[in-house]
Order: sequence, then structure tokens, then C-alpha cells
Amino acid sequence: MKTKQDFPSINERPPDGLKDDGTKVRVLVVDDSIFVAKQIGQILSSEGYEIVATAVDGKEGVDKYKDMFPNVDIVTMDITMPRMDGITALEQIMAFDKNAKVVMISALGKEELVKKALLLGAKNYIVKPLDRKKVLERISSVLK
Amino acid sequence: MRVEYINPFVETAYSILVEVLGGEVKRDNLYLKSTSMPVMGVAALVGLAGDVEGRVLFDMSMETALNIASKMNDEKIDTFDELAKATITELANLITAQAVTKLHELGFKFDLTPPALFTGERMEISDQNVEALIVPMITEQGKIEVNVAIRERM
Repeated sequence: MKTKQDFPSINERPPDGLKDDGTKVRVLVVDDSIFVAKQIGQILSSEGYEIVATAVDGKEGVDKYKDMFPNVDIVTMDITMPRMDGITALEQIMAFDKNAKVVMISALGKEELVKKALLLGAKNYIVKPLDRKKVLERISSVLK
Repeated sequence: MRVEYINPFVETAYSILVEVLGGEVKRDNLYLKSTSMPVMGVAALVGLAGDVEGRVLFDMSMETALNIASKMNDEKIDTFDELAKATITELANLITAQAVTKLHELGFKFDLTPPALFTGERMEISDQNVEALIVPMITEQGKIEVNVAIRERM
């Protein structure tokens, strides 16, 4: 029996999470909430992204980014975390790799910190509660 | 307690619950308590300190907490595990962060503590010299009481 794959539609949009060469965009998720990390993972995986690692605080996030370099394409970074906050982690990642693509994940009311993050090199930000459409738009805009 | 402290919490609790639970949410009648009171089984507590001080408690039964965690994760959660705890904590975070933004816009300046989650049977909370205003919110997952005790710093 012929399947849909035998007749690919010329109009079908490729998933956002695939690069031009067909490999998956690799994401490092840094968040102290396993709920938020899981939510980001589910949203991005459904669009073809690959979550290559997660970290529960800024320090672990920086360490994993350095260890895995250059095998992380984009980082989602929570702002408020124990041990090392997301702003400090962003600074350290940008100092290590000035081309790093970091997207901040923020609760409402952290506008000053978001502005600071953007000045420090964050490429975009997403305000919680996370909405699938909003997350995918912000992440894919950074990759373009 | 001045009512302008509680309105942002009520408005925000309503809008966030509608957004993350996706169903109908009803607000029940507000009531005041000035003595110790029982809490229902799962309580997320956020402390406030600055121009005003006190705490906000999001209080619900274990059954409601599991229903909410299941809904927010889009999967059935039967035990109050790490994921369920992180989910209820995040819900408290979302509501408090947005409410506090509104209070900051009204000119009140204060900081928040990260939410602490309490679980157990027959718990009771007592606030010394601070009245607590309680707003029950009825969701399809069960009742959540938004319990606010705030006073101006003396």
C-alpha cells in the first residue's frame, strides 16, 4: 500500500527543528523546574528539535555548554535559578562563545532582567506561561 | 488588610488558571480569617517582604493538586511525585509573578521568596497579627483557595 511518504506534498512545510541538511537542531534546556523543562522539551521535540541535554541551574548549564561545544545549536535559559542565575550563566556562555544562541525564559515582571539579558547577547526571550505557538515562533526566529 | 493588595492576586489567579487549565473557573465569595486555620493538603507558600510584608498561600486538596498536575502535563499523574510538585510550584510562581507585577505598577515595592510546597494531613497555619483574606477559585479540577495575608511594614 502506498503511504503518505511515497507522495510527499510539495507544499508541506518542513518542521522548524530540522536544519537544511536534514539533521535536527540541538537544544540545551537550562531550567530548575522539571515541569518547565519537560514542557519545553515536548513542544520542541514535536517540531523536530532534539533536546541534547538539560541542566537544573546556571552553573550546570554553562558546564554542559562548554563540554558539548560545538554540538549545541540553541540554549533555552531560565532566569531565576539556584546556585547560578540565568543572567550570569548567559554572560559566561557568551564569553566562551560569542556566537551562542541563547533564548531567555522569563516569568512576568522580570522586564529589567530581560532587557539586561538582551544587552548581554541573548537572542530573544519567552514569557511564561509557555504557549506552543509562542515558543516555536521565538525559537525559530533565532535560527533564521 | 487593604483590598488593593488582594485584587491583583485574585485577578491573576483567575486569568492564569483559565489559561493553564483551559476550562471554566468560577470565583466564590471572599472571606476573612484572623485566627489559625486548617489547610487542605497541598499548599504552595510565597513570602513577600518590602514596603508590604506577609505571604500568599495557594491551598488545595491532594486530589485537586493531582488533577491540576495531570491537566498541566497532559498526562495522568496519580502520585504527588517530583513532576507534580514542580507543576504546582510553577503554578504558584506564574500567579505570584504576574500579581506582583501589578502591585509594583501600583507603587508597592517588595521582593518574593521562591515558593515552598507543604504537603500533609491536618496541617494548620497561623498568622500573628495579620488577617488573611481567602478567595476560593472553583476549577474543573477542584477548588483552590488563594489565601493572602499582607500588611504594611511597621
